Amino acid sequence: MADSGQQQAPSSAKTPADFLKSIKGKPVIVKLNSGVDYRGVLACLDGYMNIAMEQTEEYVNGQLKNKYGDCFIRGNNVLYISTVRS
Amino acid sequence: MATEEDNTVREPLDLIRLSLDEKVYVKLKGERELRGKLHAYDQHLNMILGDVEETVTMVEIDEETFEEIIKTNKRMVPYLFVRGDGVILVSPPLRS
Amino acid sequence: MLFYSYFKTLVGKEVTVELKNDLAITGTLHSVDQYLNIKLNNIRVVNEQKYPHMLSVRACFVRGSVVRFILLPPGSVDVELLHDATRREARGG
Repeated sequence: MADSGQQQAPSSAKTPADFLKSIKGKPVIVKLNSGVDYRGVLACLDGYMNIAMEQTEEYVNGQLKNKYGDCFIRGNNVLYISTVRS
Repeated sequence: MATEEDNTVREPLDLIRLSLDEKVYVKLKGERELRGKLHAYDQHLNMILGDVEETVTMVEIDEETFEEIIKTNKRMVPYLFVRGDGVILVSPPLRS
Repeated sequence: MLFYSYFKTLVGKEVTVELKNDLAITGTLHSVDQYLNIKLNNIRVVNEQKYPHMLSVRACFVRGSVVRFILLPPGSVDVELLHDATRREARGG
């Protein structure tokens, strides 16, 4: 296994990939290049930053515009993924 | 060995795989939305949809009052190939 | 390769290609390549009033990346075949 035997990195040295691994199943905000925000639970993501989310709410200019049970976001549109206190 | 119709979502595209032959909602660039049955897709999110309703939303500003006038155009297409690079979001139908 | 293979089966059929600049062209599909570049023959522009400069154009090559939609002839869509090909592609790639 790639992880076994590896020293626990101090949190300051966490790589972006470590961060992404650590937030699966957590509530997140995904901001797209268009400025639209998606709030929901991160189901999974891949190397293109394609994202699967659950219980997703779409916010345009801070206003709730839509809700999706499940949703797939194409990675090229993603500006950032941020964690959020639930 | 995973079964052929594996219902778990390990990577984001699994969500699309599970929506095959189901009605999906697709949000596209340029204020376009599609609702239709997903018949084919690939890793770029190129897709073929059937019985598609396309909605195009336009916002115009009234020059006198500066009010936003939102106009939507809808049309039906029997079968539509969608190029993946225009896709923002895909959502399966609400599953109970 | 799924859509490349599929569009090869549409050669000779009439399709409407809608571009990202909103120009829509109907024509006979002459050929397609792996990038989904396409060549159309006997074309006509759907909104001729808006694009009169296209009136004399009989054939055109469309770069795949400028395509938004392609409207498919209903008789040429085998839904079962597409499902099977999509599942094969999802497993393989």
